Amino acid sequence: MKGKVEASKREELIEQGKQLKERLAGLEEQLTKISELLYFEGQRIPNTTHPSVPIGPEENAVVRKQVGVKREFTFPVKDHMELGLALDLFDFEAAAEVSGNKFYYLKNEAVLLELALINWSVAQLTRKGFVPLSTPDIVRSNVVEKCGFQPRGQNTQIYSIEGTDLCLAGTAEIPVGGLYMDQIVSNSVLPLKLVAFSHCFRTEAGAAGSATRGLYRVHQFSKVEMFIICCPEHSEAFHEELISIEEELFDSLGLHFKILDMATEDLGAPAHRKFDIEAWMPGLDRYGEISSASNCTDYQSRRLNIRYRPVSEALAVKKVKGSLPPLQFVHTLNATACAVPRMIISILENYQQEDGSIIIPEVLQPYMGGLGFIRARKL
Amino acid sequence: MAIGMGLGIKQAATNAFFPLSPLHLPFFLRHSFLPFRLHVLATDIPRSSAFSSFGTSSVNIMSWPCLLRNGYGRVQMSGRQDIIAISSWNAAPCKSRSVVAAASAETLVTKKERPSAGNSSAIEKKDSDGPDRTSWRPSIDFKWIRDNKDAMAANVINRKTAADVEKVVQLYEQSCHLRGEVDKLRAERNAVANAMKGKVEASKREELIEQGKQLKERLAGLEEQLTKISELLYFEGQRIPNTTHPSVPIGPEENAVVRKQVGVKREFTFPVKDHMELGLALDLFDFEAAAEVSGNKFYYLKNEAVLLELALINWSVAQLTRKGFVPLSTPDIVRSNVVEKCGFQPRGQNTQIYSIEGTDLCLAGTAEIPVGGLYMDQIVSNSVLPLKLVAFSHCFRTEAGAAGSATRGLYRVHQFSKVEMFIICCPEHSEAFHEELISIEEELFDSLGLHFKILDMATEDLGAPAHRKFDIEAWMPGLDRYGEISSASNCTDYQSRRLNIRYRPVSEALAVKKVKGSLPPLQFVHTLNATACAVPRMIISILENYQQEDGSIIIPEVLQPYMGGLGFIRARKL
Repeated sequence: MKGKVEASKREELIEQGKQLKERLAGLEEQLTKISELLYFEGQRIPNTTHPSVPIGPEENAVVRKQVGVKREFTFPVKDHMELGLALDLFDFEAAAEVSGNKFYYLKNEAVLLELALINWSVAQLTRKGFVPLSTPDIVRSNVVEKCGFQPRGQNTQIYSIEGTDLCLAGTAEIPVGGLYMDQIVSNSVLPLKLVAFSHCFRTEAGAAGSATRGLYRVHQFSKVEMFIICCPEHSEAFHEELISIEEELFDSLGLHFKILDMATEDLGAPAHRKFDIEAWMPGLDRYGEISSASNCTDYQSRRLNIRYRPVSEALAVKKVKGSLPPLQFVHTLNATACAVPRMIISILENYQQEDGSIIIPEVLQPYMGGLGFIRARKL
Repeated sequence: MAIGMGLGIKQAATNAFFPLSPLHLPFFLRHSFLPFRLHVLATDIPRSSAFSSFGTSSVNIMSWPCLLRNGYGRVQMSGRQDIIAISSWNAAPCKSRSVVAAASAETLVTKKERPSAGNSSAIEKKDSDGPDRTSWRPSIDFKWIRDNKDAMAANVINRKTAADVEKVVQLYEQSCHLRGEVDKLRAERNAVANAMKGKVEASKREELIEQGKQLKERLAGLEEQLTKISELLYFEGQRIPNTTHPSVPIGPEENAVVRKQVGVKREFTFPVKDHMELGLALDLFDFEAAAEVSGNKFYYLKNEAVLLELALINWSVAQLTRKGFVPLSTPDIVRSNVVEKCGFQPRGQNTQIYSIEGTDLCLAGTAEIPVGGLYMDQIVSNSVLPLKLVAFSHCFRTEAGAAGSATRGLYRVHQFSKVEMFIICCPEHSEAFHEELISIEEELFDSLGLHFKILDMATEDLGAPAHRKFDIEAWMPGLDRYGEISSASNCTDYQSRRLNIRYRPVSEALAVKKVKGSLPPLQFVHTLNATACAVPRMIISILENYQQEDGSIIIPEVLQPYMGGLGFIRARKL
């Protein structure tokens, strides 16, 4: 309609334009609706699964490796609650009054043990080249979603903060992932290896039964978490690296444990493959999960929008526009270095002595000023 | 009574930090704790015959040999033997109750009430029918307030708080009067009821029945009035702030008195940078990413700053454990009524407290709250006092209403790690323990090589719970001013009247004799709290004071063993 046009032609054009505009509006509205539905349904699709992952429920998990052996006891074993209460290491009763069930105070040597575990884990991983981080425990709910958690579902694990769009992070994985949100990471810094310390908060809604006694399932705990951002071709190798770091850590603590390749029904949406470590807990007379290592491939990075440009150095230097390869999504992995309450259970129950005292694992002793044991007091 | 403050004891053992491996964290060489026997003390429970020789509080600190060998004090309790009784709000009247009533005749220890349908704030008034019912009541000594109302009123004016002493006194008088009337009516009704027992003429009986009815109605009416007045009384009463120590300067923040200065400002031969500039250059924090992930005033610590945070926490806990403080790791989430009982306002406007959606839970702004809660509703054995605790927690604060340049960087943040000292003691010792806490803080910060002033805070700056408050402000050369790094408050019985923490002041002789009826009544303990280490403020102080011309940072000597011998934070060559 720009330029010289006859009057009648102009009117025809205006009429055409109007009709087109209406039809367009209608179609665009449909497109928006379909788009929303598409994303709603689409983002429910879980990550792909590694071909070696066993199919089926929790019981189908495959034991990859066992480390150590069950200790033989010459006396009746006590569970961590009995041991800890006798040594005045925790207080669940008062915490139930102050905060509610599944909260607790740590006292006396247990506090020193917690700090020792945190410090030792951070030290070990820093030595291995992981960058230490201290992360916010509070995060926006959309960041929680981008990591693959559901802040507002029923039975959600996530506490929300009233009057805000903020939540309490259930794991440092969330703020660490968020650290690189919407970034384009330089190829030269990959892999990024981070170790983060945080307080984790979980509602544990829907978790019931005997497995919830004592320190096994609690609403708040300290955790040291490993996080790796790498290019896609390396994620499988880094998954192996993470699990062997965990194996090394827990073996040096003298624990006996199994490493499991978790089955498909147990993976959780973000994980392409997940290795869990379950340590033998003699007081509970079973194996209990002490860590989890997941390869999330590009599930989280597609939501957190973390990308990199896979350039070779030569190309990067040349910087020939148009011949640069397109941006790609990174792969992310996460693994527990130390979940303090589960470690405390494992240590108390495995290192208990007949008189109820506890030997401190050797590697932790320097972090507790040389303290060799937690000894019962004569009354 | 000689009170051996922990400070007076020189550790006999050497402070040896044996560098076995990088980043090791030696707290103390050997632990050794003497069995510490508690006696169970109760009106109705037979006392155990043997008790430790460390019975009286004056001897407690001195006699623990662990202190001589770099050990730490540890209270052995199986179950909760340090606690002799849980005084339940809902308990049926028990023998000790009359004793309690005698101790503070007008303190009303009431039953727990259901939380109101609205919010549980004790402060907000419902428009239609008066104040909200709260689910607990502080044990306020109204009689004492009435007898000292002029001093109390002057105190309120000095502190510039919204409390009305006159109104409280009036309401108290009213409620006393009403109670008297109610008691009279009850007596009359009982008399009528008694008169109806046994043989009575028919007409007389009817008369009595009629009397009984009328009395019942009048009684109901009066009781309703009494309930209303009572509620109003507590609503107004619990707004009354703590008493104030006579030495506290009166007036606004500027009137604070400098008690002591330690160290001197360092002289720089180059332009100083503030902690933000230093930290960003050394890749020690990330505020930008945190603003995306969590919001303004959140941050990530990275690299050496994380090691510095852990070193500060470990070092503080070690120092205090050595001084006989019992280490605690506390929940960061607490019920909102516990927050209120400590003197904070979870639901006011401009509240410092985050609340958790769909629950009555809040995020604690300081470990003071869960530590105070640990002893909530307890009767503490006299022999365990003083209770000295050191707690590590993550603190969360909304910082609503805090604006301006003072909010830049690490100075004012929503989340931070803190190591807090808490003392529970008998009233006559709280002033001395306040002095002890402030000297511990002085010792800690001095050994970090900081220059700071110790301030006696003025009345308008105290906050409702504090009887007296000492703040320490460290020199922050990058910010070119002094900034608060710690606060030590003596809350006397303000918190304990709300948390309901009591003890029985018995001498050993009396306790052994157990002559019933001659035991002194239960009294409220005194509570004190003081910051051992607020990590972000310490990081600011260390970065800014220890900066070098090339932007690197020297690590304070006492922290170096806790960082695996790391002596400095050096800029990386890119």
